[in-house]
Amino acid sequence: MLVLVLGDLHIPYRSNGMPAKFKKLLVPGKIQHILCTGNLCTKESFDYLKTLASDVHVVKGDFDENLSYPEQKVVTVGQFKIGLCHGHQVVPWGDIESLAMVQRQLDVDILISGHTHKFEAFEHENKFYINPGTATGAYNALDSGVTPSFVLMDIQATTVVTYVYQLIGDDVKVERIEYKK
Amino acid sequence: MSSEDSVKQPQTQLSPQEEQEKLLDEALQVVKVQSFQMKRCLDKTKLMDGLKHASNMLSELRTSMLTPKSYYELYMAISDELRHLEIYLCDEFQKGRKVADLYELVQYAGNIIPRLYLLITVGVVYIKSNESCRKDILKDLVEMCRGVQHPLRGLFLRNYLLQMTRNSLPDCPPNEDPEPVKEGEVEIRSGDIKDSIDFILLNFAEMNKLWVRMQHQGHTRDREKREKERQELRILVGTNLVRLSQLEEVNIQRYQKLVLPGILEQVVSCKDAIAQEYLMECIIQVFPDEFHLQTLNPFLRSCAELHASVNVKNIIIALVDRLALFAHRDDGPGIPNDIQLFDIFSQQVATVTQARQDMPTEDIVSLQVSLINLALKCYPEKIQYVDKVLETTVEIFNKLNLEQFLENSSAVSKELSRLLKIPIDSYNNVLTVLELKHFAPLFEYFDYDSRKNMSIYVVNNCLEHGTEIPMAEQTDQILQLVSSLVQDQADQPQEEPDPEDFSEEQNLMGRFMSLLNSDNPDQQYMILNSARKHFGNGGNKRIKFTLPPLVFSAFRLAFRYKEMSEEDDKWEKKCQKIFQFCHQTISALIKAEYSELPLRLFLQGALACGEVGFENYETVAYEFMSQAFSLYEDEISDSKAQLAAITLIIATFERMSCFGEENHEPLRTQCALAASKLLKKPDQCRGVSICSHLFWSGKTREGEGTEMNGEASPERGEPKELQDGKRVMECLKKGLRIANQCMDKSVQVQLFIEILNRYIFFYEKGNEAVNVQVLNQLIEKIREDLPELDSSEEMDQINKHFQNTIEHLRLRQTSPESEGPSYQGLEI
Repeated sequence: MLVLVLGDLHIPYRSNGMPAKFKKLLVPGKIQHILCTGNLCTKESFDYLKTLASDVHVVKGDFDENLSYPEQKVVTVGQFKIGLCHGHQVVPWGDIESLAMVQRQLDVDILISGHTHKFEAFEHENKFYINPGTATGAYNALDSGVTPSFVLMDIQATTVVTYVYQLIGDDVKVERIEYKK
Repeated sequence: MSSEDSVKQPQTQLSPQEEQEKLLDEALQVVKVQSFQMKRCLDKTKLMDGLKHASNMLSELRTSMLTPKSYYELYMAISDELRHLEIYLCDEFQKGRKVADLYELVQYAGNIIPRLYLLITVGVVYIKSNESCRKDILKDLVEMCRGVQHPLRGLFLRNYLLQMTRNSLPDCPPNEDPEPVKEGEVEIRSGDIKDSIDFILLNFAEMNKLWVRMQHQGHTRDREKREKERQELRILVGTNLVRLSQLEEVNIQRYQKLVLPGILEQVVSCKDAIAQEYLMECIIQVFPDEFHLQTLNPFLRSCAELHASVNVKNIIIALVDRLALFAHRDDGPGIPNDIQLFDIFSQQVATVTQARQDMPTEDIVSLQVSLINLALKCYPEKIQYVDKVLETTVEIFNKLNLEQFLENSSAVSKELSRLLKIPIDSYNNVLTVLELKHFAPLFEYFDYDSRKNMSIYVVNNCLEHGTEIPMAEQTDQILQLVSSLVQDQADQPQEEPDPEDFSEEQNLMGRFMSLLNSDNPDQQYMILNSARKHFGNGGNKRIKFTLPPLVFSAFRLAFRYKEMSEEDDKWEKKCQKIFQFCHQTISALIKAEYSELPLRLFLQGALACGEVGFENYETVAYEFMSQAFSLYEDEISDSKAQLAAITLIIATFERMSCFGEENHEPLRTQCALAASKLLKKPDQCRGVSICSHLFWSGKTREGEGTEMNGEASPERGEPKELQDGKRVMECLKKGLRIANQCMDKSVQVQLFIEILNRYIFFYEKGNEAVNVQVLNQLIEKIREDLPELDSSEEMDQINKHFQNTIEHLRLRQTSPESEGPSYQGLEI
């Protein structure tokens, strides 16, 4: 089962669109679920995600137009409970232990968060943490070296293989990380 | 009368189609019979009898009852049979029979139709066997056909002449120095290319006259039917032109001097729209492009003289398109340098339009479209040609003295849109389009909807091709061009636009902002100022979409200046200006009564300011934070929005490391105060708990730095975390007190567990004010309260939260982190 994880697009405030090379890879019909960390920021981007898959979950970022997105969400995919939250509410931003607090509260196997515009995928106390970064390479005041990235999770039984796609220079580079429940 | 008497049935009427079929069948029967007889006689070398049967067969072509389609079928059947006669006669000559006799004999055949068909057949045989009298025979034949003036019969007769003489036309250059005829010798008059040209031109002229005459035959109510029939026959006339093009000796010079003038004269003088339209296009199709290139002027001049109802536009466009294709071919010679193709067409098209006063405007614009295509295909580097076409179009519109804008749905508007889209799509570079001086003026003729659509088209083109706008002047030009998307227009409709459409358009403009980009930071600043001027006038609804991208663009520029600080000693003052610019821009949003958006922009500005670190940046960052707080206090009234906003303020502030203690302290205090004033207790508890982080990982720059010579420098030292453990605990204890005031037990327990987690967080970070007793106390309290909760889904969640927390502690207890605190004594 393929799950697309992405966010922090910041269209149109900080970016005019996803890199063409990313768009080419995202073909409708191949992905079952989309988990978006937020900061789309407009309906246009949401509609685009809906063309890729019908099951789209979005949580509220600090610049999202749509005020009715939830602050947090828990989604079950296969045998995994997955938590989703943008991360601007987690103080300090990107702190592992602060994120762990959220993981414990939501009681999830995998916690997905964004906001830092920096890709992360690591295990911590037997739980898995993913930050898909920014799919458009949008500006972040605290990080001058932002790379466009998104994540594809392949969930099979109790294993999730995480593929991270990064646009480095003009090329798309892929890395693979495995996590077992 | 008894009912059994049979009543005579009337003859059933045949439909016209059935009539035709019947007549054709009958005629074909005759052909079958007579041709059979003819062949039998020829087999027995009974020539005269054979000719008699041939004549009978040919008499069927005298009919007036058949439609052109049926007549054609009959004609084809008879032509086939005449082939036998031709072969027989050729054979006879081989054997020595004097064909000259025959020529005389056949003249005495009864009716003119059979007579002329036989003459043509015999004449061609004679030419094939003896070339020396070719010229005379050909002249004879083409003249004799005048005897048949009935249009349908005449056309087919002359077609027969053309087909039969196909391989017999002289195709050699004239002999410039003929030998004088010796006495007693017959002059050899086998003819040359000039004779062939004369022959065909005469045949063509006569056929065209017959064809045109058909237009005026019969009743006016049958006009449509007649015109349809004429169209069916047009290829007969056109074949003359094809034959001309097949002659090898028709070179460019002869085409120019003899062929084209002859054709054009007939075409223009016949004054018949159907003939003119067909024949002009025929000329274009049939003769090679090299010929057309050398005869543009006479051809186009003739276009001006054609009948008013001829669609001259299509003729010219067909020619232009063909030549454009010719120019574009890689393996072709291309346009010769001495032919100023564009100038010629430009002038002649103008002549044509002037000559035809009632040419609809959209057709005139269509011609400009074909000219622009010509310019782009044949002379892609000559932007001035494209501009010339646009200039002509402006003149056209000026002459029209329009009182109002062109309506969106009108044909003219559509053609004009088509015209303007061509350079956009050809260059795929809006900067080149901006070089066309007459591009923008043409926008002015559109009505509001068309202007907007064209503007959207332009912006989309930029976005699709990532065309960056690197100069302030170009930014100005472009935003002026697409002003219908940027600002309210005088001719804007009164009703509110559809919100989805509006938001789509404005998002487009927001995205467009990212294309305004120069490598030179100073130029970039000017670009931002230009954009600010245009977008600033967009009105309250638009600026929500367009000013935020502008602000972020400005932030990015500040970072660029910082990167280039080595090369630019004014960078700090410039950054100051940039943040002033941002302050102003964000304030414009406040004036338009937005609050959440400017609050977030001020927070982003404070962050950026802190990171860029120019002279005086602390003051600016403080100002931005104050503005954020003002907005929070004055404008955010919804309690959910308040919690979200204060959380964001706290989280943002926690990351900032630019403040000294005297600025950090009031901001910290404000945060804590605001959190404690939230309306709902749970919100208060959470807000206050989050503040605890400010006292731990919040950073200040301590003290004044000192220069080497001992003087105080304005530089502060490196930022250091506060790590005020006591104040952290005060926050969390206050949180606990507030939690205790919550009436809902399950909310209370939830809050306790959250605070417990924060205790653990700080304990593990090394806060000495947190110890194992504190943890034990809270754990015990939670353990007491949990069982009292009503079982529900919510309670399960809370339980799990607690279990996970305990699990974490257990993990840390049994396999402690090397640098972590000891969990000895923890009771879990």
